[in-house]
Amino acid sequence: MSQTECGTIREYLPDFAAGRLGTDQVGAVEAHLPSCAECRAEFELIQMLLDAPPVVPERLADSVVSVVRTSRRSGRRPWWGISAAAVAAIALGIGVSTDRAGNVAGPVPEFASEADEGEAWLSDDGLLAGAPSIDGLSDEALLELLEELSEEGAA
Amino acid sequence: MLIERARSGDDTALDLLVRRHHASAYRVALSITRRDDVAQDVVQDAFIKAFGALGGFRGDASFRTWMMTITANEARATLRKRGRWSESAIDDVGPIAADEPDPAEQAVSGHESARARTLLETLPEKQRLSVSLRIDDGLSFREIGEAIGSSEGAARVNYFHGIRRLRELME
Repeated sequence: MSQTECGTIREYLPDFAAGRLGTDQVGAVEAHLPSCAECRAEFELIQMLLDAPPVVPERLADSVVSVVRTSRRSGRRPWWGISAAAVAAIALGIGVSTDRAGNVAGPVPEFASEADEGEAWLSDDGLLAGAPSIDGLSDEALLELLEELSEEGAA
Repeated sequence: MLIERARSGDDTALDLLVRRHHASAYRVALSITRRDDVAQDVVQDAFIKAFGALGGFRGDASFRTWMMTITANEARATLRKRGRWSESAIDDVGPIAADEPDPAEQAVSGHESARARTLLETLPEKQRLSVSLRIDDGLSFREIGEAIGSSEGAARVNYFHGIRRLRELME
């Protein structure tokens, strides 16, 4: 089984499991799964997650609608007066900026400078250490990391 | 269009937007805060802020992605405001979802599924958010990147790293 084929199929699996995939792709996944234990195992995990979704409180939508309407009609503008710029800042996060290439220009976490490049995020200790940041990596480095993950999964 | 109607103050349009996106927003908020009550407050505040800024919504991203971004940042801001009040305590007890079934129920029905979901919550934030947004909400990696403040490539790596780690934990 080629890594390229598995890579493509793995991208489809969440939508396939949830019934969101187009007909052509469904055919590709159905043809691939019987002959690939790795992708089948991943598909089963995704199915398990879909079988136990977080339960959304029944009345949450009603309470949000109620609060939003009340706020709008109150005449007070603690939120209606928020500038678009302020919300844009909220949406972009605080203290993090990116350059044109999308590289994070914010402070680099200390552990990133201490870790051995190329190993930290793949080690089992990564979870205990809080998982090193990958946000500042270049597209090439991310691609390399994906390939390594793929190879490990197939091993 | 729904957004245009909501912008002009149409209550029905606002209601529809809430009902269409509140579940995804709740899952994002719960994934970050790990507390049902806090997550519900976050969702409420996020919608209030989003509707207050609809005039600035340019439609570059989908409303859903924009809403997820605001929710994720609101959840993080809430944790900061509370001084990450009891992160260690929360970690001790694990995630608390609304109407969480008791262990006996889990053993009878969907034990492995419930276990997978519980283990997902032990992953680092960006991994569990990437997995949840991809699987539960069907967001693309580009949309996930926008929502969690990462690049598309980083969202993809976080997702596959999370899946791999989850498979290891399930073994």
